[in-house]
Amino acid sequence: MDSCIPCHPIVVLTLACALGGLPRAIEAQGDARAQVGAGRVEDVSPAPAGALRTIAVDERLVADRGVRLGDTLTISATPGGAGERVVVGAIVRRAADPSEVARAEYRVRLHLDHLQSVTGAGDRVDRFAVAVTPGSTDAALAAINARSFGFRAHRSSDVAAQASRTFAVVSRFNRAIGVISIVASAIFLLCIMLLKVEERRRDVAALRLLGISRRTVTGAVVIEASCIALLGSAAGVAFGYVASAIINAYYRGLYRTPLAFSMVTPGTVGFAVLLSLALGIGAGFLAARRLTGVPPLSLFGR
Amino acid sequence: MRATLAWSSLRRHPVRTALAMLGVAVSAAMLLDMVMLSSGMQVSFRALLTRQGFEVRLTPKGTLPFDTEARIARAASAESVLLAMPAVQAVSPVLGTTLHVVGDDGSAAAVFTLGIRPAIQGDYELLRGLDADAADRMVVNATFLARTGVAVGDTIVVAAGYDAQLRSWTARRRVLVSGEGRFHYLATGQAAAALPLSTVQFMVADAGTAPSDEVSLLMVKTQPGVDAEALRAGIERELPRVTAIATADAVKSVEQRLSYFRQLALILGTVSLAIGFLLVSTLMTVSVQERVGEMAVMRALGVSRPHIAQQVMLEGLVLSVVGAVGGLGLGLVTATYLNNILRAFPGLPAAIDFFVFEPRAAYQSLGMLVVTAVLAGAFPAWRAGSLPIATTLRSEAVS
Repeated sequence: MDSCIPCHPIVVLTLACALGGLPRAIEAQGDARAQVGAGRVEDVSPAPAGALRTIAVDERLVADRGVRLGDTLTISATPGGAGERVVVGAIVRRAADPSEVARAEYRVRLHLDHLQSVTGAGDRVDRFAVAVTPGSTDAALAAINARSFGFRAHRSSDVAAQASRTFAVVSRFNRAIGVISIVASAIFLLCIMLLKVEERRRDVAALRLLGISRRTVTGAVVIEASCIALLGSAAGVAFGYVASAIINAYYRGLYRTPLAFSMVTPGTVGFAVLLSLALGIGAGFLAARRLTGVPPLSLFGR
Repeated sequence: MRATLAWSSLRRHPVRTALAMLGVAVSAAMLLDMVMLSSGMQVSFRALLTRQGFEVRLTPKGTLPFDTEARIARAASAESVLLAMPAVQAVSPVLGTTLHVVGDDGSAAAVFTLGIRPAIQGDYELLRGLDADAADRMVVNATFLARTGVAVGDTIVVAAGYDAQLRSWTARRRVLVSGEGRFHYLATGQAAAALPLSTVQFMVADAGTAPSDEVSLLMVKTQPGVDAEALRAGIERELPRVTAIATADAVKSVEQRLSYFRQLALILGTVSLAIGFLLVSTLMTVSVQERVGEMAVMRALGVSRPHIAQQVMLEGLVLSVVGAVGGLGLGLVTATYLNNILRAFPGLPAAIDFFVFEPRAAYQSLGMLVVTAVLAGAFPAWRAGSLPIATTLRSEAVS
């Protein structure tokens, strides 16, 4: 395995966390999922006094339960089981991981050997994260799997794709809802345009009686419809930006994550404006053709 | 008379009327879908949880069923405590783990396995064959059979793990695939099997040690008429190391996790109503504007203000009701399509539906649309009813 560089074993084990010396509400929390490995350390305290080992705690735990750096906690592998006293040495913030959005449990992070000792996992780990030199992922994958030590190597991208299946479903659902919304908006726009143009019956009749050609009248109505569609689109884009900001602020607060839940991209804006313009022009054209096809005096109601 | 006039007025502009009805129909469809979505999960999940009559579930402290790998230790003792409670009718312990089906060529397929007591289990329904009522009998689901190529009646080898140093499977065991079952709580496409609890506990225990006394979940069936919430509180007092979850709590937890859909339903339902309102009010306003002369003449002939106003409101109502009735059918079609999308959620029990049709949902949608139509027609109706007769007739005559 020449392509591999030294890697970090990562263990993910369930750890029941009995929080001694903390408010009673915390004791009721029970299990937390502990992950040793990645994570951004926000603040690290100096090495604690005595033989107590340090752990890092989730900033959610800090916010919800008032845990502070330097606090002494008791952790155990099972609720009510024999515990070990530890010191809070760091507070970590979760990475912006979409797969964790709706998960409310807290996390604490221990050094691997510490977690193995607390949980009685011995020399076992759940998985290894392997860093490879650029371009040699396939070779590393094949080499690892060829060893067949009872485990299997997966590409990080495959693991990520598997983990993000939830979001693929949500995305498909949102797209379907989007299509229904577009159909509703299109009908609404067509209706409004039809009314708008029909309101101009007398103007159109006067223009036709003055000798203006059907083509010119139709062109004028279409230009007017385009302007309305463009102005409406501009207002819609502004409304979309505001709505997007509100959605992001709300869900970021709700799920306590820096993830973006709504993004107004140039592609989205372009699609919305083009669709609205096409519908506006189409509706304007159809309505104008209907009006210019009627004799001017009939438009006057004579 | 009013209805006839309203209908004639709508027929005068067939394209406009048809478009407005179509617009209301799409809004109604969306509204119905959103009403179904807002309550569908709750109805569906509650039906799933109460199907087997287990009203309370016990999990390791602070967890939801099978949400983590945590287990309840000293399960036998916990079960005894529960059975001693008068409100408890039966207890069904469940241990979930992953076993490996080992092929003759050394290949293996991982299978989610439940350790259960066949006599009192609520996790699956036996479709054919025999239940897992002997130590080496296994009930599997259709996905398992399709994925492994095994048939009911075959004997297979299952193992609890793999020892990398010895390069051999651990806790190997030959079992008979005795039956096929439908597992209620598992996702579509998830291969699953059930073995007697004692067998699974024996397999997951470390080599050379006594069988594990751990379970993932204890499901409690209550005596008839017992308040599940009171029992839940009582269990937590007796067994502080577990979390007891009544069905209502479980539904609430799932709703919290999937709150996105409820919020989306609220927002889109409101938007649908707003679109319906705007559509009807715009159309009626323009319609009234076009017919001010006609209405002034009617007023001059002695037709009362309320009569004119009612005619305009009736037009709006007809637009909305006809559109809404068409929209309900459209809504059911789109709900089925959207439900199929959401049922692909990974890990979601196959029996869960997001969109559940209840007559109440249809009545609610129709009711909201009718109220919206009345409100949308109110301003144009008031305007039509309050036209000054002489001024309007004069301005119409001049133009």
